[in-house]
Amino acid sequence: MSLREGDGPGPSPHERGSPNRGEGRNIDPLRGLLEGEGAQQAVPIERAGSEGSVPFEVWPLPASADGQAREDPSYYDRPVLKEPVWKWYVPAYFFCGGAAGAAAALGAVAQLADREGLHGLITRARWVAALGGAAGTALLIEDLGKPRRFFNMLRVFRPSSPMNLGSWILSTLGPAAAGSAVFSSPGGVTGGLGDLSGMVAGVAGLPLSGYTAVLLSNTAVPVWQQTRKALPPLFVASAMSAAASLLQLTELSNEEERIVRRFAILAAAGDLAAEVAVERSAAQIERVARPLHEGTSGLLLKVAKACTAASLVVNLLPGRRRLKRGLAGLLGTVGSIAVKFGITEAGKASAADPRATFHHQRAGLGGAEATGRPAVTAP
Amino acid sequence: MEELLARTLATEATGLPERKHGTPGRHAKGFFTDTTVCIGCKACEVACKEWNQLPDDGLYFTGMSYDNTVDLGASTWRHVSFVERPVPLGGQETMQGFSWLLMSDVCKHCQRAGCLENCPTGAIVRTEFDSVYVQPDICNGCGYCIVGCPFGVIDRREEDGRAWKCTLCYDRLKEDMTPACAKACPTDSIQFGDLDDLKERARRRVGELHDRGVTEAYLYGVDEANQPGTEGLNAFFLLVDKPEVYNLPPDPVVPTKKAPEACASMAASAVAMAVAAFAVVFGGRSR
Repeated sequence: MSLREGDGPGPSPHERGSPNRGEGRNIDPLRGLLEGEGAQQAVPIERAGSEGSVPFEVWPLPASADGQAREDPSYYDRPVLKEPVWKWYVPAYFFCGGAAGAAAALGAVAQLADREGLHGLITRARWVAALGGAAGTALLIEDLGKPRRFFNMLRVFRPSSPMNLGSWILSTLGPAAAGSAVFSSPGGVTGGLGDLSGMVAGVAGLPLSGYTAVLLSNTAVPVWQQTRKALPPLFVASAMSAAASLLQLTELSNEEERIVRRFAILAAAGDLAAEVAVERSAAQIERVARPLHEGTSGLLLKVAKACTAASLVVNLLPGRRRLKRGLAGLLGTVGSIAVKFGITEAGKASAADPRATFHHQRAGLGGAEATGRPAVTAP
Repeated sequence: MEELLARTLATEATGLPERKHGTPGRHAKGFFTDTTVCIGCKACEVACKEWNQLPDDGLYFTGMSYDNTVDLGASTWRHVSFVERPVPLGGQETMQGFSWLLMSDVCKHCQRAGCLENCPTGAIVRTEFDSVYVQPDICNGCGYCIVGCPFGVIDRREEDGRAWKCTLCYDRLKEDMTPACAKACPTDSIQFGDLDDLKERARRRVGELHDRGVTEAYLYGVDEANQPGTEGLNAFFLLVDKPEVYNLPPDPVVPTKKAPEACASMAASAVAMAVAAFAVVFGGRSR
C-alpha cells in the first residue's frame, strides 16, 4: 500500500471531507490496496477546473449533421494524434545543441589549419560549443517528465530511436567541448588534451547539428514526417548560422572575422534554400503545408526567413565595422531561434489537425509510401 | 502449416516464444473488437479504470453524442466512440436513414510499434504475450513515444510526468486471466484470445455479415497484408465505415520505416557542413 505525504496517522482523506478521496480513484488509500497497473499515476492535488465544460472547443454542429462531411469525415474534428508535450525547452535545445555542434566542427577545422592567427577563433568556438552543449543538456533534462531519471537515456543503445542516439552524441560532445574550452591555451600536456577534446567535439558536432531534424521527422506528425528529406539540411544550415552569428558577436581578428562571415553567408544561403525545400515538400498536401504558412508557426517561420535573409544581406555588404558585424550576428541568431520554434509549433498544429493526417495518408503518403501497399480501408 | 510447426519446434527448444518483426510469437494475445455488436455501454471503460485503479480525468459534458470520454489518454485506456450516422447500415431500412456506429478503441499493440521503437530508455518493451508494455519505473517522461504513435494512443499525464497506456492487463495475463475490458463486455464486442484464433474468428464474422447484407464490413489492421505500415495490429477491429469516421488513421505507418531517408539526408548535410568549414578556413587565406 502506498501512502502519500500527510496521509499518515489521523483521519482518512474521506473522513476529512477531502474532495480528493483516492485521488480521483474513489478508493480510500487507508482501506483499499492501491496495487493496480495505474495506481501510482499521480494526479493534481487541486480538483478545480476538472469538471464542467470541456477544456477544448466543442464540435460546433449537432451530431446528426455528421453526414454533411461524409466525403471528408472526421470524428467531431477531434485530433487523431496526440500533440507533442514538449515545452519551449525543446526548440531552445535545438538552437543551443545545433550551435554547439556547428561551432565545435568549425573550431576543429580551424584547429587543423594550425595557424597562429586563428587562436582566438578556436577558443571562442570551443566556448560556444561548451556553453551550448551545457545549456542544451540542462534544457533537455528540464523538459523531462521525470528529470531525475535523465540518466535512463543512456541505459540502452537503441539505433531505432534518434533521441537515444542523440543522447549519446550529446553526452560525447558536452564533456569534450567543455574540456577543449577549459584547456584552450596551446602547448603542454593540457594544450594537447584540449586539442584532442576539440577534435572529439568537432566530430560529434557533425551529427549533433542535424540529428534533431531526424528526431522530428521520425514521428507520426504529418508536417514533420512529410518534410523528412528537407528538414535535416534546414537544421544543419540553421545550426551553422547560429554558430557563426554567435561568433560574430564576439571579438575577432580580421582573418577570423572573414572566416566567420563566409561561414555565416554559406549558412544563411543554405538555410533559405532549405526553407524553400521544406515548403515545397509539404506543399503536396494543402492540409499538411498549412501550419508552415498560418498561425503562430507561420509567423515564426516568416520572421525566421526575414531575419536570415537580412543577416545574409548585411554580411554581403562591404565594410568591416564592428556594428555591422554585430547586427548580422544578432539577425542570424534571431533567425536561427525562430526556425526552431517555428518548425516545432508547426508540428503541434499539424498533430492537432486530424485532416492533415487523413489527407496525407489518403494521398498515398502514409504506409503506402514506405511499403508500396496501402492499408485496407474498405471491403 | 510447415512454418507454424517450425516455429513451434523452435519455441519448444528454447523455452521462449520466438518473435521477429511481423511474425507474432506462439503466445501472441490480442483483442478483436467487433464494432457491429458494440452497444456503447462503456462497461469496458469502467472495468479498465477499476481494475487498473486509474484516476478519473475530469467530468465533462462534451455534446459529442454520448461520448464524454473524448479520446484515449494517459489515464483512459479504453474509449468508446459514438457516431450518429445519417445513413442506414447495409441490409437495414430505417425511417429517416440512420445508424449508430460504436467502437471501443484501445491501444493496438502494433507489430511494429512507433512508441516502442522511439523510446530512448528501453522503458517500452515487448512482453511474452506480444503486447507492448511501458515500464513505469524506467520511463523518464521524454515524450518521444507520444509523437511516435500513429494512432494518438499513448500520452503523458502532466502531474505524473510519465507516459501511460493500455498494458493489455499484463498483471491479469500473468495469472491466465482475461483483460478486464474483454471480461466486462456484455456483447462480446471485445474478444480476447490467441491472435491466430481471433483472426480466424474475425474473418468468419466478416463473411457472416456480408451474407446478411452488411457488405461494408471489413477488418482494420488484422495482419501485415491488411496494414503494411504497422505490419498488423494485435488489437484489430471490424469496421463498417471509413476509418476516419472512427478517428482511426486510414494508412498508418510506423515512423521508423521512413527514417532511412531522413538519416541519409542528415549525413549529406553534415558532410556539406564539414566541407563548408574547410572551405572557409583553408580557402582564400591570403590578404
